[in-house]
Amino acid sequence: MNIFGWRIAFLIGCAVLMTGNHLAVAQQKDQPSFIDQAISNSQPKMVKVFGASAGKVEGFATGIVVSKDGLILSSQGVFLDGRQVKVVLSDGAEHIATILKRDRETQLSLLKIQANTPRFFELSTEAVGEKGDWVIALSNAFKVADKDEPVSAMLGVISLRTTMEARLTKRDVAYRGELVLIDAITSNPGASGGAVVTPNGKLVGIVGKIINSSETNTRLNYAVPSSVLHEFVAGKASVTNEPQPVMERQDVEFGVVLFKLGGRNNPAYIDRVVRGSPAAKAKLKSDDMIVSIAGEKIGNLKDYAESLKSLRAEEEVLMIVKRGVEMVRVRIAPRLKK
Amino acid sequence: MPVEILRLVVGCLFGLLVNPFAFTVAQTDNDQGKVDAVDAAVSELSEAELMEAMTLTSKAFRNAASRVTPSLVTIESYGGVSAVQGRIGGIRKQGEGNTTGIVISSDGYILTSTFNFIQRPPVISVILGSGERHFATLVGRDDTRKICLLKIDGLTDLPTPVMVDESKIKVGQWAISLGVGYGDTSPAMSTGIISAKNRIGGRAIQTDANISPANYGGPLVDIEGRVLGICVPMNPQSQAVGAGVEWYDSGIGFAIPLANAKKLLDRLKAGEYIRPAFIGIQSGPNPLGDGILINKVNPKSPASRLELAEGDILLNINDNPVNDMLRLKQLINRFEAGETIRITVKRKSTGNEEQLELPLDPPPTNAKEPLALPKIR
Repeated sequence: MNIFGWRIAFLIGCAVLMTGNHLAVAQQKDQPSFIDQAISNSQPKMVKVFGASAGKVEGFATGIVVSKDGLILSSQGVFLDGRQVKVVLSDGAEHIATILKRDRETQLSLLKIQANTPRFFELSTEAVGEKGDWVIALSNAFKVADKDEPVSAMLGVISLRTTMEARLTKRDVAYRGELVLIDAITSNPGASGGAVVTPNGKLVGIVGKIINSSETNTRLNYAVPSSVLHEFVAGKASVTNEPQPVMERQDVEFGVVLFKLGGRNNPAYIDRVVRGSPAAKAKLKSDDMIVSIAGEKIGNLKDYAESLKSLRAEEEVLMIVKRGVEMVRVRIAPRLKK
Repeated sequence: MPVEILRLVVGCLFGLLVNPFAFTVAQTDNDQGKVDAVDAAVSELSEAELMEAMTLTSKAFRNAASRVTPSLVTIESYGGVSAVQGRIGGIRKQGEGNTTGIVISSDGYILTSTFNFIQRPPVISVILGSGERHFATLVGRDDTRKICLLKIDGLTDLPTPVMVDESKIKVGQWAISLGVGYGDTSPAMSTGIISAKNRIGGRAIQTDANISPANYGGPLVDIEGRVLGICVPMNPQSQAVGAGVEWYDSGIGFAIPLANAKKLLDRLKAGEYIRPAFIGIQSGPNPLGDGILINKVNPKSPASRLELAEGDILLNINDNPVNDMLRLKQLINRFEAGETIRITVKRKSTGNEEQLELPLDPPPTNAKEPLALPKIR
């Protein structure tokens, strides 16, 4: 045997030692955990949605199967505007989808494909999961998964169940409804329409579209809850998402002149109170600072002007003012502007 | 035995002996043993028990949150300058919402993050855990830690949280961030671990729980609801008030530990404004050897008062050698304005090395004293 043979022998020796080690470790890890199972139970119910892109807006999203005859739930967006919407099932089968409905307020869409889809998510009418519960988010963020590749999984917890007003863009209708905030980072292109499930595999909601919170000016990671999804699919008008009935706006006033020097970002300090006005009757004084009206914080003059738009003459509201270092509460009803 | 087979056997034995992995396995046998033991214990649990364990951590998270929530406050700001053109520390416009704070003493001292007052509101109010609203005054501020102290008056029995001694905080332990920045009265939570300690000049602990304007000023607690630190934006490269917000929710987040901070809190209670250290030189690496070469000395700076000049070489700070700009920044970041450092400088004029005491200034700024209540009228 020549040098070559010695080298082979040396390498075999190394290999034997390494393999033995790996075999020992592998034996411990064979049992799938319940997170594995929640994911593997959910993957057959996930779809990838492809449509038209428009400028910088992505033309792809994720979706979930919600019936055994091919109903697909996803987010709604410009990707549905093109000529063809394609849905790719978890086994890679491609289908052209028809759009059954789209809703701009909830930013949801319901699609239909001609296929049997025996594995689907049940949509609960009750809240699934509470703050602190583990959740797994499944989505095709960034189109990482192609054809029959499984979509990406992320682990996180439910941060908060809350009702928020959030805007997609300035032009869009504000979404005013319940959101399930999570701490997994789902706010990424193509992730919307994905599934958020509990370790038991129950659907908490679908990953929402990318939006910024106006409170923090940061991206929100959240799911649109299953109860909202259920109402959307079932076709019932949702009480929380019903657009507010538009009442004729009144021009009202309290009878205060606010200190304006410095601009609209200044706090709402009262310069003077008009005699005989609702403000005078409520005993408001010069130098009072308006803190809140009807529960809404009045951070500055702009907030004050906005608040007046939603009030009605002769309807009493609670106003809180800062007088020196004291907090003073008054009940006051505005009057029609003269 | 044929010679070939003999050589094969010897070759294998030789391979086994010199296999580098053989050595590593020997050394990590103990660790592997521990991992095997845990794996064995875990794999003996039934699936129902594993699920139970997961549910129990969620319960623990909720319990931890409810233990600290009585000491968590909502901070409301009124008025202030609107966002400057463009960005504040990486986000285009500060959010409009409320922010978070922690009661740190029962007579009404509240700690929060300076980030929450970037817009310099003249009026600040605080909503306590009880639901009562009180106006607050700003007492002290620490720009090196991005924290500031508020005071509300007329109270004596506010609930304060339990704090964890910094020495007991372990990398890898659970960490839960809480904040009311999303606008709900119930705080939002994010969970993760402690990623590192002694970051940012030794001032902060690091976590991968989501840290963002939603919880700046709020607590980072352990699984028992005890406060590990207060969440703040941080960036090792910059001490601007908004620096670090660009890393929000990124897996890199920071909190200032509080349990051992009594001296710091006393200084803030006394109304101190703690500011980062500034020397006043522009420099680059020394092409001819050790140290950094001073290219320019800012007028009216600590460096100019010691008559440092272009061409001088800064060799070390408090006996720590300095050879590049990053090291200089890291060393200076450990100090604050008002402290004095010992530097060794090799003068260009004489060629001699000198040891000098350098009192540190705050960075020059032409902004007005921030957060002083402006007189509206």
